[in-house]
Amino acid sequence: MLEVRSVSKSFAGALAMRDISFEVQENEYVTLLGSSGSGKSVLLRVIAGLLQPDDGEVILHGERINELPCHEREIGFVQQKYALFPHLNVFDNIAFGLRHSAANAISDETVIRKKVMEILELVGLVGQENKMTGQISGGQKQRVSLARTLVTGPKICLLDEPLGALDANLRERMTIELQNIRKELGISFMHVTGNEFEALAMGQKMLVMSDGKIVQQGDPQSLYSSPRDLTTAKSMHSFNIFSGDRMADCLEAAISKGAPKAKIAKASHCAVRMDGIDIVAKTGRATGLAATFITSEFLGNKIIYFLQLEDGQICEVEDHMSLKEPKNLTANSMYLLNWDAANILFYDNNEQLMS
Amino acid sequence: MRSNKGTWLLLAPGMLWILLFLIAPLLMMVYVSFWTQTTFAIKPDLTVQSWVNFLGSEIYFGALLRTIRIWFTVLVITLLVGYPVALFIGQFIKNKTLQTALLVTCVIPFWTSFLIRVLAWRPMLGKEGAINILLQKFGFIDAPIEVLLFTELSVIIGMVQIYVVFMVGPIAFMIGRIDESLIESARDLGASARTIFTRIILPLSMPGVIVGAIFVTVMVLGEFATASALSGRKVNLLGNIIITQVGSLKWAFAAVAGVVLTFVMAVFVAIMLRIVNLRNQI
Repeated sequence: MLEVRSVSKSFAGALAMRDISFEVQENEYVTLLGSSGSGKSVLLRVIAGLLQPDDGEVILHGERINELPCHEREIGFVQQKYALFPHLNVFDNIAFGLRHSAANAISDETVIRKKVMEILELVGLVGQENKMTGQISGGQKQRVSLARTLVTGPKICLLDEPLGALDANLRERMTIELQNIRKELGISFMHVTGNEFEALAMGQKMLVMSDGKIVQQGDPQSLYSSPRDLTTAKSMHSFNIFSGDRMADCLEAAISKGAPKAKIAKASHCAVRMDGIDIVAKTGRATGLAATFITSEFLGNKIIYFLQLEDGQICEVEDHMSLKEPKNLTANSMYLLNWDAANILFYDNNEQLMS
Repeated sequence: MRSNKGTWLLLAPGMLWILLFLIAPLLMMVYVSFWTQTTFAIKPDLTVQSWVNFLGSEIYFGALLRTIRIWFTVLVITLLVGYPVALFIGQFIKNKTLQTALLVTCVIPFWTSFLIRVLAWRPMLGKEGAINILLQKFGFIDAPIEVLLFTELSVIIGMVQIYVVFMVGPIAFMIGRIDESLIESARDLGASARTIFTRIILPLSMPGVIVGAIFVTVMVLGEFATASALSGRKVNLLGNIIITQVGSLKWAFAAVAGVVLTFVMAVFVAIMLRIVNLRNQI
């Protein structure tokens, strides 16, 4: 349905994104994961028509839309900070696109009221329509912003970090609500986020963006379990990456666990899942990577241990409370890190996953 | 209790100042307007004679109407001239340094004295002034336009030039505060440039318009120097009447004119503040 072909954009000579290509299918929830400054918001603006690409094409339903002004593209854009009009109440904010669209404004107030009330019901804001935007909570603002875009009937809705400003509880609730709203309307959502868990949980398809490039795309599960390159692995924030001297130590530990030597010989980096590492006491017979325990972070359903390797690199170990009892580690004491060879991913000197 | 005492101590200097130099003089002015005025003396015997004289006199009541007319004309022109400039500075100039530089440029005339700024218009507007010379040189007119100086028009031109910056500043400030994402959202929702201006930018800049209008109003209604210098004393505003009356020691009559001016300003400011709640907006 939406196709982005080799799109590039730069600002005053600085490349914001280059050679971006991907597709969004009908009725699909796509998430785009990228760190701050990776170019993801620029990409959304180019698709929405708020910025013109330097190269490449944006195609919607087989038609090139590069030259179409943004209000004729039938693409909805929900801004990161909601961008609600502060001088209008909730009803008038949502009705804005219906009343003032240059292309197809509705003049019949009865029709506008019906459409606005329907969308208010969908986003669960019935009864709030007369409130000013300053009188509603962050979560409600987010829903008003979404409703204002959806009421105009876009073919695809672009969401720029829609949950970024919400607290953790609300974010979790809105995660489910956003998916339900999309399913009910049967349209495609493209959701940009810097949060890997949000991207993994919500997307049917996931794109990972770094330094203005799409580094990997696919279904969230395969992206998480075997990131095709090191940048994607880093974006997941679920792997400890070892290179250089640490790599040798890591490999030694891996070989001792039976990892294939031929593959190891060509690898330049390796990644070990944080939840695939064991911390064992340093006793006479035990083997593994030596590390000093610094501190731990209790997160309710899991606990993260921070250990420092001999060269200063911090290694994170994640234990899920449903699987393991919390460990009683002593700060500044030496321990050994162990893992199964199957939990190691090897990357070549181009940072690509070795098969 | 201690914090209450502290609060009052902090408020005291400001309140004392306002009481001594705002409330007391205002009350005194109202009181004096009811004193009995004779040719060479003034007595605190209460009478409405000065009020009757003021409202019954065609000259003085006419001056009040003229003051209101000139104020309103200047207000409308400063808004019409100032708003596009403020829109340009606040919306179209994205570089904050350049924005500040342009606003500073607007206040450059203030680096010289008020009287010099007013009097500088004389060689510009006179029969053999710069404007007439240029218009004649480029063949737009055959004979000099005489209405440019020592008329109501010259007073309006002078006042607009002097006070337009007080309209530009607050409006540019409010327009500069409008988040770019609001404009982008309106565009994405299908609004044309004109709709974005009328439905988003204009309403959101209204607090700036109100503040600018209050600034211009307060200054123009109290004006006497521009009218005096650029009209050749032909255009008498209420400010000029107050000056003349004070000069001839007619305090009661001057107080009446002062009370009327203050009342007009207060009514206008109250109406403006009813239109936009500045406390919520700024």
